[in-house]
Amino acid sequence: MKPVLVADSLSLVYSDHGKEVFACQDISLSVNEGEFVGILGPSGSGKSSLLYLLSGLKNPTSGTVSFEGQNLHSLDDNSRSNLRLRKFGFVFQQPYLLGYLSALENILTVSQDRDFALELLNSLGMKAKANRLPHELSGGERQRVCIARALVNRPSVIFADEPTAALDHKNGKAVVELLNQHRGNGSLVMVTHDISMIEQADRKLTISESRLIP
Amino acid sequence: MSRTASPLAPTTFLRRNAGKTIPLVIVITLAVMLVQSIIALINSIPLSIRTIYGYSSAFLAVSPRLDPSLTPTLVEILKDKPPVEMDRYMLCRGSSAQVKSIVGKWPFAVMAMEPGDLKYYLGRQGVSKIEGRLPQVGAAEMIVSRPVASNLGVKIGTILLKPEDNENFSRKPVKVVGIAETDRWLMLGDKKYYADSQPIPLDFVLAFTKNINEQSKFDYWAEEKLKGQFAQVFAYHQIKKQSEEMFGILYRILNAVILVLVIVITFMMGMLMNIYQTQRLVEFGLLQAIGFTKTQLLKRVISESILVIIGGWIFGLIVARGLLIIAKKVLMDPQAFALETHRPLRWIFRTQWRLRIQSLFLWRFSSWR
Ligand SMILES: Nc1ncnc2c1ncn2[C@@H]1O[C@H](COP(=O)(O)OP(=O)(O)OP(=O)(O)O)[C@@H](O)[C@H]1O
Ligand SMILES: [Mg+2]
Repeated sequence: MKPVLVADSLSLVYSDHGKEVFACQDISLSVNEGEFVGILGPSGSGKSSLLYLLSGLKNPTSGTVSFEGQNLHSLDDNSRSNLRLRKFGFVFQQPYLLGYLSALENILTVSQDRDFALELLNSLGMKAKANRLPHELSGGERQRVCIARALVNRPSVIFADEPTAALDHKNGKAVVELLNQHRGNGSLVMVTHDISMIEQADRKLTISESRLIP
Repeated sequence: MSRTASPLAPTTFLRRNAGKTIPLVIVITLAVMLVQSIIALINSIPLSIRTIYGYSSAFLAVSPRLDPSLTPTLVEILKDKPPVEMDRYMLCRGSSAQVKSIVGKWPFAVMAMEPGDLKYYLGRQGVSKIEGRLPQVGAAEMIVSRPVASNLGVKIGTILLKPEDNENFSRKPVKVVGIAETDRWLMLGDKKYYADSQPIPLDFVLAFTKNINEQSKFDYWAEEKLKGQFAQVFAYHQIKKQSEEMFGILYRILNAVILVLVIVITFMMGMLMNIYQTQRLVEFGLLQAIGFTKTQLLKRVISESILVIIGGWIFGLIVARGLLIIAKKVLMDPQAFALETHRPLRWIFRTQWRLRIQSLFLWRFSSWR
């Protein structure tokens, strides 16, 4: 198994009125090609922070993240943005879409591949609603559009930050299943506070009070 | 639905958010209209001068100072080796009257000539035809041209000069008997009537070059030659120069007003744009998270803003031009007032200058985030 994403002693410190708050402390992990890693933790344990670090959205206070052998934080802003656009996919807690664009157009903001975008919408059961605006879709449907947007560039790693938070349990599980089914060869890193959401994960980790529990 | 343009093209956002875009464009349009109207008014003053006193470009007038008996000497000087071929010299009488301009009443010359000179003069001023007739020799009669008639609301039969009217004075009531068809502003009377009714026999000289294009050359020569003589020279180029000096301060004040206005408007537009874009922070945050660079997002915001501003500008120019043309037709033309509705070069110069300031502001505002 080849690791694509390797984190080495990551720490992220916020300063809260001069007091240091650890959002992540000394976290090391590696994600293999095509692997589904589920990270479980309660609210405030540092799940989102960890994802921001792994995906290069935030710089760690100490430690490194490397993707395909390259240290993310040695890249300049533009190259890192480009990497996120082409190699990473994101699904957020809330189904954020641009309100003035249709489902299909939202997917096409990150890719020109219209045929693949439609194919993804089709396999997510959304083909008939491709031309609807976000406010004409239900929450679960919106999250499915977000999944299609995350997958349309055939990313190497997909980051999912509690993608089911805005949905009821049944719909939440369905969304995770769809994400898992259609990720192709991409690895999936999902954080959640609900263990049933990561039943299908190849590996399950637990985070508590900003540390990974061995 | 098969558009090839990227969903993130600036036009897509503007079109799909028409409810916000259109009011913005309207604000810019109104501002542009305001500025253009002021500029049109300013430009209309020199245009009025050129229009009302344009007749004086057809000749040079010289009058003696203090001593009416100097006139023959002045004629001799003007006839002495002029630089261009001359067509005619004539002696006239005159009095003053008033016409209306957009900035109030302006003085105007009534010139009184002998019948032969009058016919020549009308030809020189491009008069194609006359409604009514010419003044009779010795009669208290006059003719005016079409713009003067419109300006003063004069018809054939109107008494224009009166003994009791200080601004338009004559010994006897002088009646308009003819209206000359020309764009030039003219008020002309009979010399014999003036000679009979004026106690001081003050003749002035009009000198006409053969080729009308050489008149100005002769005017400069005569002005130089008459320096030190008891003579007052009236040349078109002087009138233009004096009028520009006369309104110099007004222009400067108005320019300052426009500058302040432009700064205020620019600032307001910057603020509006800033508010407009601040409502989209979630959108920018999302796009940045999924891999768009700050530069890409900034470029997009700036192109959207510039599109709105240029759109508003062009729209404002068109609407303002339209309104000015209507105002000219409906309000100004009936009184023969001049209104400057087309000086695109001057306008474009100012526009570019303003756009540059504006993009600077926008750039600053956008870089705050
Ligand atoms: N900008 C910030 N400044 C200061 N402290 C922060 C900031 N962002 C997060 N924190 C703190 O860091 C810790 C981890 O936050 P994080 O958002 O990663 O938690 P989480 O596990 O994602 O929680 P949730 O399940 O509620 O989303 C929390 O204690 C939080 O208060
Ligand atoms: Mg979180």
